Amino acid sequence: MNIFSVRMVRGVCALALVYLSASVAVAQSSTARIVGAANTFLSTLNAQQRQKVLFPFDDEKQRARWSNFPTGFIPRGGISLKEMNAAQRSATMALVSSALSPRGFEKVQQIMEGDEVNKINEANHPNRPPGDRKGPPPNGANGPSVGPPPLTSDMFGKDLYYISILGTPSEKAPWMLQFGGHHLALNITIAGERGILTPTLTGAQPALYTSNGKIVRPLGQESDKALALLNTLDDSQRKQAILSYRVADLVLGPGQDGKIIQPEGLKASAMNDRQRAMLLDVISEWAGIIHESAAAARMAELKADINETWFSWSGPTTAVPGKNITAYYRIQGPHVVIEYAPQSLGGDPSLHVHTMYRDPTNDYGRGLTKK
Amino acid sequence: MNRRFIAAAVLLLLVASAFAHRLDEYLQATIISLDNNHVQASMRLVPGVAVASTVLADIDANGDGVLSQPEQQTYAERVLHDLTITVDGQPANPMLVSQKFPPVEEIRAGLGEIQIEFTFNLPPGGPDRKIIFENHHLNKISAYLVNCLAPRDPGIRIITQSRNETQSFYQLDYTQSGAASGSASAKGWFNIPWRMGAVGFASLFHLGMRHIAEGTDHLLFLLALLLPAPLLVSGARWAGFAGVRPSLLRILKVVTAFTLGHSITLALAALGVVHVPSRPIEVLIALSILVSAVHALRPLFPGKEAGIAAFFGLIHGLAFAATLDQLGLGRWERVGGILAFNLGIETMQLIVVAAAMPFLVLMSRTRAYPFLRIGGALFAAVASLGWIAERLFGAQNPVGIIVESVAHHAVWIAVMLFLVSLICWLLAHVLKAKPQTSIITAFPMQLKKKA
Repeated sequence: MNIFSVRMVRGVCALALVYLSASVAVAQSSTARIVGAANTFLSTLNAQQRQKVLFPFDDEKQRARWSNFPTGFIPRGGISLKEMNAAQRSATMALVSSALSPRGFEKVQQIMEGDEVNKINEANHPNRPPGDRKGPPPNGANGPSVGPPPLTSDMFGKDLYYISILGTPSEKAPWMLQFGGHHLALNITIAGERGILTPTLTGAQPALYTSNGKIVRPLGQESDKALALLNTLDDSQRKQAILSYRVADLVLGPGQDGKIIQPEGLKASAMNDRQRAMLLDVISEWAGIIHESAAAARMAELKADINETWFSWSGPTTAVPGKNITAYYRIQGPHVVIEYAPQSLGGDPSLHVHTMYRDPTNDYGRGLTKK
Repeated sequence: MNRRFIAAAVLLLLVASAFAHRLDEYLQATIISLDNNHVQASMRLVPGVAVASTVLADIDANGDGVLSQPEQQTYAERVLHDLTITVDGQPANPMLVSQKFPPVEEIRAGLGEIQIEFTFNLPPGGPDRKIIFENHHLNKISAYLVNCLAPRDPGIRIITQSRNETQSFYQLDYTQSGAASGSASAKGWFNIPWRMGAVGFASLFHLGMRHIAEGTDHLLFLLALLLPAPLLVSGARWAGFAGVRPSLLRILKVVTAFTLGHSITLALAALGVVHVPSRPIEVLIALSILVSAVHALRPLFPGKEAGIAAFFGLIHGLAFAATLDQLGLGRWERVGGILAFNLGIETMQLIVVAAAMPFLVLMSRTRAYPFLRIGGALFAAVASLGWIAERLFGAQNPVGIIVESVAHHAVWIAVMLFLVSLICWLLAHVLKAKPQTSIITAFPMQLKKKA
């Protein structure tokens, strides 16, 4: 009996050791896993496609070639899922998935799916906007010959997402993976074991839709967690956090790389422990998109900064239950800027949102790769 | 063929832009960046699809569908002309650095971003500076954003940014130390903390004054505590006037004790020695008002007002520190900062006490005083109860709003009270010659009766 239990303890210890070392090995091999997936992806491409996908690591133009606009207006670099065969497409998604956490990958899929819903909506209700008040002259002349639905199919949809690689996939030398389209721009810098997700844009339109009978809000947590934090603030904290003016759009959207604006709102040093934890939880909606080991390192960095991190809010302080907020908010610390900006396009602003996630000291991993 | 292609492209742009970007607003986003002697600003102008034709008509003056170089330049100059910029109250003249226009079709689709860079000079000035930036360009259709980059120069520190609701008005208060303004002023020892590299002394001084002027709860505590200061105690009740000298002495004691108390904790908290969460502090501050209000009704701790003032001063000081914390000062800068901020608080406090003192000393001789004292005490008690409910249980109630609106007219109330007490004083002096109708005999002091 006694011997048995000693054996059992030993066995459990050994098992734990194996498990521990295995999980350490898995954690260490995130980069190896991504590099493997990248090489597999590249091997499915022909020479011409490969040339289109690959860019030099320091190609500043390609780095900044992302936007919240549909791909038809701001052409992204690389190649789109639409131009690929089934094997190439699944290799692309496997590569994206290898660099992200399961939650992050799900978010990406929901954003892409939303764009598909958007495409169908657009095809069913063409020409909704009052934009043609002063119709451009050529339109009137031979407009009827071109129908909008086939054209919108080139504007939105889950196949209009582009992939590009800057540099050579490597476990040591830094390189970059970009994946994005309308309402999505992932800029992932891999530098050895480090993984950097900044700058990244996420957005959703419609920000609430039904898929297989389930209601999906791709950026619902971003909305709900921030509102929950706002609701815990006491009067004096709210007075500081809630800005007295309207913020109509992202301040540091596409093209505003590396800028650090003067922070405003409520500093987290004036929050209690629970509120600080909630703030970190809001941040994790962006910081946690990347794969777990990179996300853990990032969260540790942001946690260390938390007392120097600011939270500000502009707009309605309530939301319709089950829907997104219609207010703008910003989280800014020494190493992070997050903006959540609902877009009012004449319709319900809770249904369309742009968000931005930045590290002004380390956008595109500059803080790591520049020496 | 070519025409068809253009038509298709335009239609495509129109359809997509419908839901792609802004619709009926002209977004004008400005980011300014400061250094010692000039400001650089970049503007991003994005007309929404519904207003694009209006904006385009403005740019394309000859209506040929092409934005020529002179047209671009003229439009950019016009945008700058529609700005009103002042530096320390003096108009500044923005100079165009560059402009960049997207293709006409992109603007028409609500996706075009016009970029304008400009600059203006900052003439040499004192350490405390103010820039006002107003944008009047197409204000009926525009949505504005204005932000300032965090200054790279450690000698420049932003104190406050204020805006109107639409951000068409933006005011930046900041302080500047270093070569450009170092010789501009010599105000003696007042400048020492600033020379040490601290935030502008005057700015923090003003911030302290404003904090007290706007911090109704701090004032209410102090005033409620001063209400019975000129009175004598008889049994468990407040009685008549204690005399000018004891009254003044008591007021002085209470104010000094409060100052001592809050200075200690302000310094400790601002230097990071103690850290207390804001919510319990806010509740305790509300409680302190209740205590002094009850004391004004019935003497709870007669003769010990100074001690109570010092004790609650300790708590109020912790709240002051939270304001200072917002500025993100360095450890050593804080020393000068605390001094300036605290002097601001004391100054404002002295102004308020000076305004209240004649009223207290003169009115407390009259029979009308008990009504004023009880009325004031009840007002403070209700306000404190409202605040306690709000801060402790999050129970929204109109108390805050009512007190704020009363405080909003504080200056007029103070002026009125001062005039009333002045009239009383004058009456007392003028009528002293005719003892029969003296105010003192008209409102005989209870003191004599009771004694």
